Amino acid sequence: MPVRVQVLKKVDFGNAGCSIPLGDFPNMLVHLGEWLQHNSVVVVLNGTAWTAAATEVVHYFSMFVLVGSIAIVDLRVLGVAARSQSASLLAERLFPWMWAALALNVLSGFLMFAGAALSYIPNSTFHVKVTVVLLAVVFGVIVQWGVPKWDHLPAIPAWAKLVALVSLLLWVGAIIAGVEVPALSGIG
Amino acid sequence: MHGFLLSLGHWLQTRSFALAVAESEWAYPFVQATHFVGLSLWVGTNVALDLSLLGVGNKHQAPARLSAALLVWNWVGFAIAITGGFLLFSASASMYVTNVAFLTKLGVLIPLALVLHIVNQRKVREWGFNPDPPFVAKVAGATELLLWLCVVTAAVLIPYAG
Repeated sequence: MPVRVQVLKKVDFGNAGCSIPLGDFPNMLVHLGEWLQHNSVVVVLNGTAWTAAATEVVHYFSMFVLVGSIAIVDLRVLGVAARSQSASLLAERLFPWMWAALALNVLSGFLMFAGAALSYIPNSTFHVKVTVVLLAVVFGVIVQWGVPKWDHLPAIPAWAKLVALVSLLLWVGAIIAGVEVPALSGIG
Repeated sequence: MHGFLLSLGHWLQTRSFALAVAESEWAYPFVQATHFVGLSLWVGTNVALDLSLLGVGNKHQAPARLSAALLVWNWVGFAIAITGGFLLFSASASMYVTNVAFLTKLGVLIPLALVLHIVNQRKVREWGFNPDPPFVAKVAGATELLLWLCVVTAAVLIPYAG
């Protein structure tokens, strides 16, 4: 039975030095990571097989709904999907699921991160993943904000299509970065 | 049956494309990512249809029109997902054919969910012109949603069952 729980050890928060060799990575972040990773709720949820598996299920399922919903809207803006209806109608339909899924995805992802925070904090592939996801969310907001305006124009402008394409590529990039985290570093 | 599956698994696993996926440094994660991109389109559009059958979010559009709009990319997603999934399976086929979570996923849950999905996609053309679909449509939508959740659960349990 794979168990994510790390070996518990005493953490002295009064001590500025860190017992784990992480180079010159900021101590504050490391202390936050130690606190998270040893937090009793995090330890129980990540250390119990069924809650750890349930967290993963929520993370995957919400990721599919999140990426699927925004991808369809992006593809519609690009003019290659669902041309039988307006982009704003489709966006109105799918964006609520996208944001709900994002909330579940962030929540479950945070719990998985917290369970091995000290491994994730200094991991450069994980930094790339988080950066790409944040950029993708920003582009998601731009698309949601833009779609009703673009729909009132005679044709969706080229720059709007570029925004949609970047949004789509960022989500694909987020998935690639996501699978590269365990592939390159063995965490997760 | 067990011996047959094992020898089939071994045969598949030693094909050159399967060895390429299993042994390449970069191919395996990219095939995984392909599987997930396909699943995003597939599951994302399935969930949208199921929620619509449940009567959620139908204020401006009936389920039948949503389903028609999503149909093409729904199946594009499915095609991408099975291509990636088949390659992932090939890379360690003899492990998968003896894994109870994988066998449940592929042998029971996916066929059930897939059949119900096809039924829903056809029946939405009669159920789905009202923003508040009939009771049978709601049951069908909720069941399909639950089945896909079970499919993902079985997939997550593969390493636990190994």
